[in-house]
Amino acid sequence: MGIKPPERAEYIRIIMAELTRVMNHLAFCGFLTNEMGAFFTPFIYAFEERELILDLFEMASGSRMMCNYFRFGGVVRDVSDEFMSRLKYLVYERLPKKTDEMEQLITTNEIVRTRSIGVGVLKPQDAIALGAAGPLLRASGVKYDVRKADPYGIYDRFDFDVVTGKNGDVYDRYLVRIGEIRQSLKILRQCLEQMPASGEIQTGKKQYQARVPAGQAYGRVEAPKGELGFYVVSDGSPNPYRYHVRATGFINLGTLETMSVGGKIADAIITLGSIDTTMGEVDR
Amino acid sequence: MYGLGIAKGMWVTLQHFVDTYIQDAQYLFRSHKYRSSKLLERQGPKNARGLFTVEYPFEKLPMAENLRILPFLVYNSGTGQERCTSCGICAKVCPPQCIWIVRGTDPETKRPKPEPVEFTIDATICMSCGYCAEFCPFDAIKMDQNYEMGAYDRWSDLVLTKDKLMKPDTYHYQIHPSAKEAEAANIAKSERAKNR
Repeated sequence: MGIKPPERAEYIRIIMAELTRVMNHLAFCGFLTNEMGAFFTPFIYAFEERELILDLFEMASGSRMMCNYFRFGGVVRDVSDEFMSRLKYLVYERLPKKTDEMEQLITTNEIVRTRSIGVGVLKPQDAIALGAAGPLLRASGVKYDVRKADPYGIYDRFDFDVVTGKNGDVYDRYLVRIGEIRQSLKILRQCLEQMPASGEIQTGKKQYQARVPAGQAYGRVEAPKGELGFYVVSDGSPNPYRYHVRATGFINLGTLETMSVGGKIADAIITLGSIDTTMGEVDR
Repeated sequence: MYGLGIAKGMWVTLQHFVDTYIQDAQYLFRSHKYRSSKLLERQGPKNARGLFTVEYPFEKLPMAENLRILPFLVYNSGTGQERCTSCGICAKVCPPQCIWIVRGTDPETKRPKPEPVEFTIDATICMSCGYCAEFCPFDAIKMDQNYEMGAYDRWSDLVLTKDKLMKPDTYHYQIHPSAKEAEAANIAKSERAKNR
């Protein structure tokens, strides 16, 4: 459609996307330890930070989970000054500290290491063959991130690394996610430095019915759980002719069999937790 | 040394445990314990340590201005005039199609009148996306912030008819303080459409 969002809207979009990634990966650490039997203590620590991030989403968009914040050519509304001051506090002070704390809690813990090192190994060639994406693929040692491989938005302006693992086991998947939290915070810091203080947030008029020319398009983004793709076929009418979502959870769950055959039943639970799938995506 | 990792993790847990009690003791004898205007002092990101949950039925957090739960219709509390002109854009943009409008007719001239006779929103279908409020050209439909909607019966309590949806603009400006200037132009447009 050839709509280019204004500069400020692009930065707000990146901020929201990266906050989602931080939130998801922190909650993942909680869920993984839940699966291992550390019932709900690390989980609640992760959820405290998630709550503060969700408060920001509520301030900006009006809803905690179903934000519905992006529009064709911009975002719904501008963020307030209070939002920015809270965001700065979270990004510069609180979240780095809490990530360190989460790592102190889990990374060197002997029980976690014995339960997860060498468990649920996914070889790089298997991961590619099964179509895995996101942290699951990167933990197997494949350096592939849509933000680097096919930069969308303004991701080409930021300096960040693609975190990869070596062995492709459950422990590596955890380490990759912790590394990604740090990289996301790095992107957020660069965002806050470069972001224009004020400006337009919407190109053109807001429209509820987009006139899409006939043809087909595939757009993909690096969602926290993997590659999220949307395929649309249009015949020129207001409604899509065909619409398909490449759901990350569904495709990543396909690797569960390869990872858990030959292992113990208790390990299968941890392996399932380490994929970080949402059952809402799988039910289709 | 074996066991050092567990000890380090336990140290984190212990810090959280102590934090909880320090926080509790700090606010034990404060007068604002149950007052929502002061809650942010305790809840805000800078002071959030230990347990920062609220004791819900007694304490309620102030809502963000943009919070959207369910739509309501605005009328002028002075003159009693509704802002809605029953143009039907909200019903058109509604993704789950939960808005029904019946346009009124003038009894004398038998021509359509810019006022809805019936305006129904099914709260069980509404997904609180806020499109109706965003695209209303007359700022007549707005998003409410009342999240306490428990009900026993769908048809009598949750299928909201026009008399339940109508709320005065004083209430609207109370929950959306920054909306007053932004809307002046659109309200004038609504009144012009009605008096035509």
